[in-house]
Formats: sequence, C-alpha cells, structure tokens
Amino acid sequence: MELRKLLLRAGAIALTASLPLVAPAAAETSISVMRTIDTDRYDPHTSTSRATAEVMFMMGDTLVALAPDMKGIRPLLAESWKVSEDGKLYTFKLREDITFCSGKKLTAADVKATIDRWLALDKGVVKNRAGDVKEIRAVGDYVVEYELEQPYSELLYQMTQHFHTILNVDQVNKLGDDFGVKGFDGTGPYCFESWEPRNQLVMTKHDAYKWGPDFYKNTGPAKIDKVVWKIVPEDNNRVAGIQTNQGDVTQYLPYWSVDQLEANPQISVTSPPYYFWTYYVGFKITRDIVNDIEVRKALNLAVDQKAMAEGPFFGKAAPAYAYTHSGTLDYASDLIDESLFGYDPEKAAAILDADGWKMGDDGFRVKDGKKLELVAYSFSNIWRQVMEALQGDLRKIGVDLKVEVFDATVIWGKLKTQDFDLYTMSYPYVSAGDALNLYFPSANMPTPNRMNWDNAQTDQWLKEGRGALTDADRAAAYGKVQKQVHDAVVWIPIVHEPMFVAAGPRLKPVEAHGIYGAGLYKGLSLELK
Amino acid sequence: MLRHITKRLFVSIPVLFGVLFIGFMLMQVVPTDPATVLAGPTASAADIEAIRESMGLNEPVIVQFGIYLSRVLQGDLGRSMISNSAVVDELANTVGPTIELMAASLIWAIPLGILFGTLAAVRRGKISDRIIMAASVAGVSMPIFWFGLVLIQYVGFKWQLLPFQGRAGPLWTIEGIRHIILPAITLGGVFIGPVARMTRTSLLEVLNSDFVRTARAKGVSERVIVMKHALRNSLIPVVTLIGLQIGFLLGGAVVTETMFAWPGVGRLAVGAIVSADYALSQGAILVLAISFIAVNIIVDLLYAVLDPRLRTS
Repeated sequence: MELRKLLLRAGAIALTASLPLVAPAAAETSISVMRTIDTDRYDPHTSTSRATAEVMFMMGDTLVALAPDMKGIRPLLAESWKVSEDGKLYTFKLREDITFCSGKKLTAADVKATIDRWLALDKGVVKNRAGDVKEIRAVGDYVVEYELEQPYSELLYQMTQHFHTILNVDQVNKLGDDFGVKGFDGTGPYCFESWEPRNQLVMTKHDAYKWGPDFYKNTGPAKIDKVVWKIVPEDNNRVAGIQTNQGDVTQYLPYWSVDQLEANPQISVTSPPYYFWTYYVGFKITRDIVNDIEVRKALNLAVDQKAMAEGPFFGKAAPAYAYTHSGTLDYASDLIDESLFGYDPEKAAAILDADGWKMGDDGFRVKDGKKLELVAYSFSNIWRQVMEALQGDLRKIGVDLKVEVFDATVIWGKLKTQDFDLYTMSYPYVSAGDALNLYFPSANMPTPNRMNWDNAQTDQWLKEGRGALTDADRAAAYGKVQKQVHDAVVWIPIVHEPMFVAAGPRLKPVEAHGIYGAGLYKGLSLELK
Repeated sequence: MLRHITKRLFVSIPVLFGVLFIGFMLMQVVPTDPATVLAGPTASAADIEAIRESMGLNEPVIVQFGIYLSRVLQGDLGRSMISNSAVVDELANTVGPTIELMAASLIWAIPLGILFGTLAAVRRGKISDRIIMAASVAGVSMPIFWFGLVLIQYVGFKWQLLPFQGRAGPLWTIEGIRHIILPAITLGGVFIGPVARMTRTSLLEVLNSDFVRTARAKGVSERVIVMKHALRNSLIPVVTLIGLQIGFLLGGAVVTETMFAWPGVGRLAVGAIVSADYALSQGAILVLAISFIAVNIIVDLLYAVLDPRLRTS
C-alpha cells in the first residue's frame, strides 16, 4: 500500500517536472558559455592554457590589443605609445578613465606592479614573453616606461596576450594563494563573481567599462549582465545544449556537428578572419634514423594532409604545408619550399631507396640490418585518428610506425623523456616569430623544443629577429630561420585547426577572434537578439 | 549486532590505509607531472622545474606519503594543487550532489527492480516473465553512456521535455527536480535489471520452501504469501546485491556526472586526475572508498532488519 502511494507521488512529481522547458525570467540577461575543461586558476602569470586565456581576456585588459587580422596593434589600456630609436624603451600613455572592477582607478603603478610581480614570481611562466626587462617605471599616474636590456621586436604582439593582463596587485597581495581562485580584480568588460573549479565560473558586467578595442562595434559596457562559463565535457551534450538554450555559446564543437549547426537557422556559426593553431608531428632529430634528413623528407612526402583534414577533421581544417599559417606576420612565403611537405608517396619511396633503405620481405624497409621502425608518442584525443592515418600512410612506403597514445594526464610526463622518435603537438601563436621563438631556440630543449634542434645559427637569427628595430629586419631574420628549419624538415605539418563559434537561438552572431584560441576574446560582441 | 558493526568498523581501518597508500602510489607511478600540466603546453623546462619545486614534488616519494598520511590522520586532506581550496571543502561541495543523484536513482530503481522481479517470479514461465527477464538482460547489457546519450538525444534535445546540463538547485525546487530526472534515470536504469533478476531467483527459491507450502496448505492467499511472507524472506540476497551494485553505481556516477555536467564527486575525481591534482584525486578516492565501506555496513544492518535471527545472534 505504502509503495503504491510512493509510486503515485513519484509519478505526480515526474509529470509536473516534464512540463516543457521555460527559461527562467532572471536568465534574460544571463548567458552560459560551454567549454570542455577548466583551468588551474585565473592567474595570467602561472598558466599558459587556453582555458585561462579565454577568461583573462574578458576579465582583464592588456596595454594593447591585437586586431582580428592578427597583425594590427590597437590601443587598449594604453591610448598611445612610442618606441625609442634603439628599440629598448617603450613609453605608454595610459587612458585616464580606466577603473578596475573594484572601482580603483588604473594607474601606471599598477602596470609596473603587474610586470614586476610576473618577473619575480617563482611559479611565473613564459617570462621571456615580457622581453629582457631592465626596469618598468611609472612616470606620474598615466605614463609607463618599459625599458629593455635589448630590443624585442615582438614585444607589442606579446603584450596583446593574456600573460600581459594588468592586475590590481594590491588585491593580488591581499588574496595571496587565493588570488585567481576566490577573487580577481581586472579592468576587463566583465568582473569575477564566483568560481567553482571544474564546474562553473560566473562573471558579471563591468558597468564602467567603455575602453574596449576599437575594432568592436561596442566598446563597452558589455551587453550581457552575467556570463556563466560552464564545464560540459561531453560533445553531444554541448551540441544538443546549444540548440535547446541550455547553453548559449560555445567554440568547443566537435567537427561532425558543424554542418548540422550551420544548417540550423536558429544557430549562428562564425569563424575569426584569422586563427593560428597548428597541428604538427615533430621529429626528435637526435634519435637514430630520424637524424637522417632524407628519412624525414621521405616521411613528410608520404603523409596525406588533405586526407587527414577531410577525415578526422571532417573537412573543416586546412591541410598544413608549413609550420605556421600563411597569414601570420612575417610568414616567409618566398623562402619556404612547401613542396617538401606535399603528398607524393612515389617520391618518398624513391628517396628512401636512394638513401639505402631497401624494402624487406615483410613489407618494411631495412638498411644495414636495421628495420625502419619508429616510435611516436601521441595525445589521445583527435590525434589518435590522425596518427592512425599517418601510420597507414607510412606503412605504404615501408615504415613501421608504432604509436603510443597517452591521455592528457600522462602525455606531458612522457614527452619530457627522450624515448620517442616522433611526437604530436598543436599550439597557438600570434606570429611566425612567436612560433619560432617558442620551439627553435636551443635554450628551449628539451621542452618545448622537443626536436632537440640545437643550432647556433638559428639562435643568432632568432636573436636578430627579436632585436630587430624595423619590421623589415625582423621579417628578414625570421625568414632565414623559417627557411632553415623548413629545409631541415623537423616537423610534419598536419593541419591548421579551424575555429567555429556557435551562438544559440537567443544570441546574435558572435564576432569571433583568433587570439590564442579564445574565440570570444573580450566578449563585447555577445548580445541577445 | 553492535559488536559485529564495531568489528566491521575496525576491519575498515586497514582497508582505508590500503586505499590511501594505493591511491597515493598510483598517482606516483603514473608518468604524470602536475607541474607540467599546471604550466601548460608552451611553458619551458625552467618554468616547469620552478613549479615542481614550489609544489614540493622534488621530495622523495616516501617523504611525500609520510607528510600526506600525517595530515590525513589529523583530518587534513590537504589543499588542491589546482585551486588551492581545502580538499575537504571541494569534496563537501560535490558529495551532496552525488548523494542526491544516487538517492534519486535508487529511490525508483530499487522498488521497480523488486516489483519486476516479483512479477516475473509470480508469473514464472509466462509471457510477462519472459518479457521482464529479456528487458532486464538488455538493461544489464546496456552501457550507461549509451542510455544517457539516448535520453539526451530524445527527451532533452528532440522533444525538449527535460534539461540535461548541470544541477539547478536542491531537490525541493522544481528546477532542481527537473535537472536531476535524466541523470537519475540514466544511472538508475542500469540498476533495475540486476535487482529484478536477483529478486526473481531468490523469490522462486523461497516460494518453494516448506513454510510457504505450509501456508498454502493452511489456505493463505497467494497474494499474502508473496507480499507478506515470501518477499521479505527473499530480500537478503537482493540487499547484498544492492550493496555490491552501489559500488558499481559509484563508477557509473562518474560517467553520468560527466555526461550530464553534474557537479558531483565522480566528475571531481575525473577532473582531478586529468589535471594531475594529487591531493584532490586522493581525497576523492578516499571518499569513494569510505562510501563503499559505509554501504557495506548499512547492508549488514539491513540484514538484521530483514532477518530477526541475526539481531539475536
């Protein structure tokens, strides 16, 4: 009898609960952004992850902004700047109407304190992106002198990245270890409200904000009162969620869903004009076999990037025939021999034949009694399918590739070893120089220079590029490096990743930006229909 | 009985120590470097080393375990390497939603499983028995993630009847209930089959026992025999199964919570492991182990409720 009552009550509750979805009234100026993973903490100086960057851009500002063409430097916190003739002194004039979310006025002292904090922080990462700083000086309240020991031609581009977000260091010191966890005080269009790690982050509109980059139609304040960043790890859930108003915007779309969403008139899917995130397979060139440039050339020609772009990436990615996107600043199109990376298995086989690698009875090549057998360490996400395709491509020319796939918890530890011949990686960059300075300095061995590319000439050219006083000199120096490392075929470029930002039925199309893979950038184009 | 429970609690201590040790060592043997994960993909070796040093990861493993154990014994599970929040706080925030989800799953799945098992036993060999048993085999074989995806696809997306993302508040609110229905159906759905099968088997055995034959001989109605006498006597193996299944349910909660973005301890554990957050991973493992032990003790208590002989022995 009791059980029957219980079932009846449960049925009544279920019936009530299964009424059609009705958006709560309070959600009218609140939207949710769906993404797959959270970050460790919202501190721009301790994390290089995209998950950190995409929130930092919205809660904070940098001195200068990067235009959607990924080349133009635009004013942001600094209304103007000048660079000394020797390239060592940058003088920034700050806007005088900027406030942090706490209401505190932004002054030059905050800029100085922020950079000083970054450089002094034991856990601080990628400090090289600040340049070789001699001293940061606050001259009065609104002028910052940023002095370098040596010129750094990439500085303004680096200053657009989230690492250069200007902080209220008083609040940083006050919060101590809780900074970026329980609070964050920035000057961005949105303010930190709360964070439940791995679940959701809530930010609210910064009412005083009116200094957004000039390439936005709306330079502030933001048109959404509250933005909730939700962690929704499951692909299908995000795709269904964007179509049913359970999530309003996401750039984390599985490739199979893009056509489906584009066909839905309720959904807008936009892409940034330029976006630089490249997938490549690197050779550890100090290892036996792959230390032979002829082998590396052959392997490159055996790989069908187009098929990979069409397979695992559902035709959404662009095949890559160079280490960086051709739209990047200082891309040396006239110096890079893209034919080294085309698909030509016959030529690949001929190169191996000429190099003494003879086809064995088992279908694999042998030279001096040694089998052409290689080990690759790979990520487990979409890379698994890419590497399966690559394994098949190499099998056709007699190369036995063993692929060891690791998930995100393990791969980074494995990549610190010297136990592999090839490895997989994808990465964001703002310019050719940015990419080259990350991966090719000998000082960056063994990580992120996992190829063990150790070349004094490269180091010298990179130094020249970094220290160039003119755009032409910088491009020339980086051009030489590009030619050198491309000719050495130390990577197999695979694809340039596309970015798609889907906005749900409630939102207008989003003006996507390609900076560091953070499609919403400042979030100023988020607007209800 | 009290002595039995006390004994069980004492026996749990070495089990918990083993969980702590194995959980700690598992995180050590996995070639994961939290400093590398924290620093991100473009950090240099020097950046990573600085983070390692600041996190105390350069200490010998045994020293790290000693420090960890002494803290745990004082009730301090440490702080998350990621968020710097106290692990206890992070767990406290997520245990509630997981308990909610499990309760919401069990509250309908167990009665339904017993009901179906009873129906199948009473109508043994008939078409309804066959249908129930076939459905329960399908239920046992059905992967949780598949069932969840089907519910998302049809109930959530196509028909738009119920939400399928996250938790919208406590269960006494309409939105709270609406948000828990699909995850609870997903998680509970895989529970019905085993309970139904075990109930059927156990009830059939009891229905063939002497005291049931005696009752029938005395003219007691079949309904009273089943509902009042046989069912209760057949529940001990069912309760044992439920206890064991709850352990599996904890595993299922990890999948369900991930699929429905439910902020529970299962998803927390996955997130902590993926981000190489040692302290939080170990804390989550400890909570899951304690839950399993607690469920087993509760099952022991239920034996006594169901079988008076155990209360007096």
